[in-house]
Amino acid sequence: MTTTIVLQQAINGVVLGSLYVLVALGLTLIYGVLVQINFAHADFVTLGAFAAYFFMHLVGGGYILSIAVAFVVGAALGWLINAAIFTPLRHKGNELLPLIATIGVSVMMQNVMLAWFGPIPYAFETQYSNEVIRFAGIFVSWQSVIIIIVSILTIALLYAFMKFTFLGKALRAVAQDRETAGLMGINPNYLIMLTFVIASALAGMGGAMLAPVLVLTPFAGTSVIVKAFAIVIIGGFGNVEGTILAGLIVGLIESYTTQYLDPGLIDIVVFALLLVMLAIKPTGLISERREENV
Amino acid sequence: MSDPALAQHLPGQRAALRSRWLAYALAIAVIIILPLIFNDTYWRTNLTVCAINVLLAIGLDFILGYAGQLNLGHSAFYGLGAYVSTLLIVKLGIPFWAAFVAGVAFAGFAGTFLSLFAVRLRGHYLAIASLGFAVIVHQILLNWISLTQGPLGIYGIAPPPAIVIGGVVIADFHNLAAFFYLVAGFAFLSYILLSQLVRSPIGETLTAIREDEVSAASLGINGAAWKVFAFGVGSAVAGAAGCFYASFVGTLVPDAFFVSEAFNILAMVIVGGMGTLIGPVFGAILLTVLPEVLRGFGDLRLVVYGAALTFVVLFMPGGLAQAARVIAEKLGLRRST
Amino acid sequence: MKALRTLFVSAAAVGLLVTAAQAQDKTIKIGALFPMSGPGSYFGAQDKQGVELALEQLNKAGVNGYKFVVQYEDSSCSPLPATQAAKRLIEQFKPDVIIGEECSDATLAVMPVVEQAKVPLLNAGSSSIKVTEPGNPWTFRIMPNEVMQGINLAENASKRMKAETAVLLFENTNAGIGNAQVFKENFTKAGGKVLAEIGFGRDVNDFTAIATRVAGLGKVDVIPTYTLEGQGLKITQALAQAGVTKGGGGNAIQIGTIWLPFGFEAKAGKAALGYIRIVQFDPTDTRDVAKNFASAFKAKYNADPTHLNAHAYDQVMLIADVVKRGGKDAQSIRDGLAATKGYSGVTGSVEFDKTNQNTKMDTIHYMETKPDMSWTSLKWN
Repeated sequence: MTTTIVLQQAINGVVLGSLYVLVALGLTLIYGVLVQINFAHADFVTLGAFAAYFFMHLVGGGYILSIAVAFVVGAALGWLINAAIFTPLRHKGNELLPLIATIGVSVMMQNVMLAWFGPIPYAFETQYSNEVIRFAGIFVSWQSVIIIIVSILTIALLYAFMKFTFLGKALRAVAQDRETAGLMGINPNYLIMLTFVIASALAGMGGAMLAPVLVLTPFAGTSVIVKAFAIVIIGGFGNVEGTILAGLIVGLIESYTTQYLDPGLIDIVVFALLLVMLAIKPTGLISERREENV
Repeated sequence: MSDPALAQHLPGQRAALRSRWLAYALAIAVIIILPLIFNDTYWRTNLTVCAINVLLAIGLDFILGYAGQLNLGHSAFYGLGAYVSTLLIVKLGIPFWAAFVAGVAFAGFAGTFLSLFAVRLRGHYLAIASLGFAVIVHQILLNWISLTQGPLGIYGIAPPPAIVIGGVVIADFHNLAAFFYLVAGFAFLSYILLSQLVRSPIGETLTAIREDEVSAASLGINGAAWKVFAFGVGSAVAGAAGCFYASFVGTLVPDAFFVSEAFNILAMVIVGGMGTLIGPVFGAILLTVLPEVLRGFGDLRLVVYGAALTFVVLFMPGGLAQAARVIAEKLGLRRST
Repeated sequence: MKALRTLFVSAAAVGLLVTAAQAQDKTIKIGALFPMSGPGSYFGAQDKQGVELALEQLNKAGVNGYKFVVQYEDSSCSPLPATQAAKRLIEQFKPDVIIGEECSDATLAVMPVVEQAKVPLLNAGSSSIKVTEPGNPWTFRIMPNEVMQGINLAENASKRMKAETAVLLFENTNAGIGNAQVFKENFTKAGGKVLAEIGFGRDVNDFTAIATRVAGLGKVDVIPTYTLEGQGLKITQALAQAGVTKGGGGNAIQIGTIWLPFGFEAKAGKAALGYIRIVQFDPTDTRDVAKNFASAFKAKYNADPTHLNAHAYDQVMLIADVVKRGGKDAQSIRDGLAATKGYSGVTGSVEFDKTNQNTKMDTIHYMETKPDMSWTSLKWN
């Protein structure tokens, strides 16, 4: 019986972790290239979820297509925020200002969504939500399986993109050293815009994936954003492998803390871990380079 | 903001001093008059909340604008001050002002502790560490129910005891005007204290560290020690604000210190003008009064609030202080330096 | 002769116009303190619908020559904004009576303010016992408080449902914790055993881990659940997925909470099978007042009413009843409320005890979810 519980919670933790990774990936990508924090990132996730919902319910589209719709909506938002906020502020050199501007954007987005969609939670059901696979006393819902599959696919694609395509290599070049990359003929501004668009598209898509799992209100983003930041730091700002590892760890912490302690303690454990990491290894679980500006 | 050019000329320096004392006198006059103009309970409540927010904003500006430390967790010290002082009064029967000092000290120590811990961290790492700290504090306040009552809340918190001299009641803090004078007076004194610190050699040291830590180190300035000091002072001031908050509202729940509160205080500092100390005073007043005045807007109230924040950062990053300077220059009241 | 008749008619006409004009001037001002921003707006938006429906019906003819005017202020479900909203309401609108708030913290913070201003506060949404227990002459509550609900629920769980074990699931708020504590006390007193008390934050989205933990606790008979519909939905589905509750092939039955709206089952699907709970508004209620309300609401909003719509409607209607009995200003409305006897509202009867708590047990309606996802009303009260 106990082994079943341990195993079940392990699976729960991995699913939860994949959920967080989908949100945190975009954040870490943005930070790696721009050295910027976008506080409105989780609201992109929320908006992606709503976009998928309304696509399915107003237009009558299918779930898979709605994920693509959310991807596009996220991309558009990312382009907009980059053009309106990060580009103009880049020259000011103050790292705090864009962060605060994105806080303002986050407040605006949440309240505009509140005005449009109202506060009552939307029930996002797909044909996969409630179907459950059972084996050896363990249960997993199909939705959870989808989350894991999509996460793995996304990570794999991102990885391939970064390592093997020209654009991907250019992005990594800009992340490592913007000036030199510029000297090599890479247009940093174009790449920064691309990064933002990709990261926000990932967020939007993540929202559509998560919509059946989230309590879908305009405030759904706030429930994940702070933990997402913790994951990005624990994993190492700008480091994709670290973020994945950290996301899974946090997911497992959540499920095991729920089982053996109390769900109320989850945040304390996660953030205590964050502070411990910052104390002993601020560059994160898997550090690449960038030792100087710690 | 010390202007080095002025410092060299003695008469100029005296003029600056005179104008500063004039400004202080004006401020005192305004503080005294305000509750007399706004003599209904609604606006007097707002005035007191303004005063509390001014305390929070100047404390954060001292940490953020002067010591250059990205503190995203100011709400933690606010909450610690409120809970420590209130619990001492309610559970141990400790007199108000003793509990007040304890609350302020506890918050100050917490800030010092966080700063010591984070002393090697910079920029975004410090920001997230402070945010993490604020989340932990909030969660502890929420979950340690046997100590703090958690979401069940603490009710019926009394205002500070009346000041009675020789049998005559000088100030009864059930009276909203009296409470306002207390908090505004304290905020005023705190402002003077921080302002003097900024003008002193300590302040110049902090500025040096903020501008260029490496060079400052080469001059033998121990950056870490000064940052910790600034953090301690700023968070102690926040603790004081917390003590006043608890005895003013009379009800204490952990959600009043949720991390979004830290962002509100940050907004006040930025909108006012980070690093100017006087800017955040007006930023606090504006961002306290604005949501009240916007109540007629209904649902759009917070949208306007978020938009205001974004646009200030985009178009006037120096906040109100910058706007004031620009206007003064345009009006010819000031040479543009 | 004709001249006299014309004079008489003109005088009568003028007299009628004057009385009509004077009747227009007589208004009862109702202040409404509801959370309108942030997550609490979940309550405020629905309360407003109920209030507007009541106003529409009442102001057609007025009551005793009085019309009703409402001013809404956003109290944000939190102590400081609520006190600011209350003071603004009192200073600027000068209401004769105030309805609200929903969240216990906000209600408790506002109570001293209305007491000092000598304006009665009529509450229908906060469950904390502290709202009425200390005995404030200016605060009235028509909703059954957490103690009333908890004692009744525990008794029914133990005696009628023959439950021996329970697992408590509750949101980490004043109302969640309070309700869970009362159930635990009374269930244990009746001989039952509480196997676990699991509290969770309002930001939890995924309940699989919690459901797994409950599944590992052995034989669980009832699962009292105290949460709002968003998280409630996820909990019910997770418990079914884990095979714990009837909806998932297990044996446990979820019970409890007054906060889940009608329509919850449609969203939850077969996971909600067998769910027994207290509701504030029974949509299958056969009393005329309830049926008329439901059809009027459907006609106006094209949706079935929830308990929030219903209790807000009741608040305004009860005030109208007090006005009918002679209430016309803050003091007389207060006295009128205290003297209420035999009043029948949409959510149940109203009669206040000496702490101004409505103690009528027919405000606690029990519903059970049938296999076809419809409700049966269990006549346990």
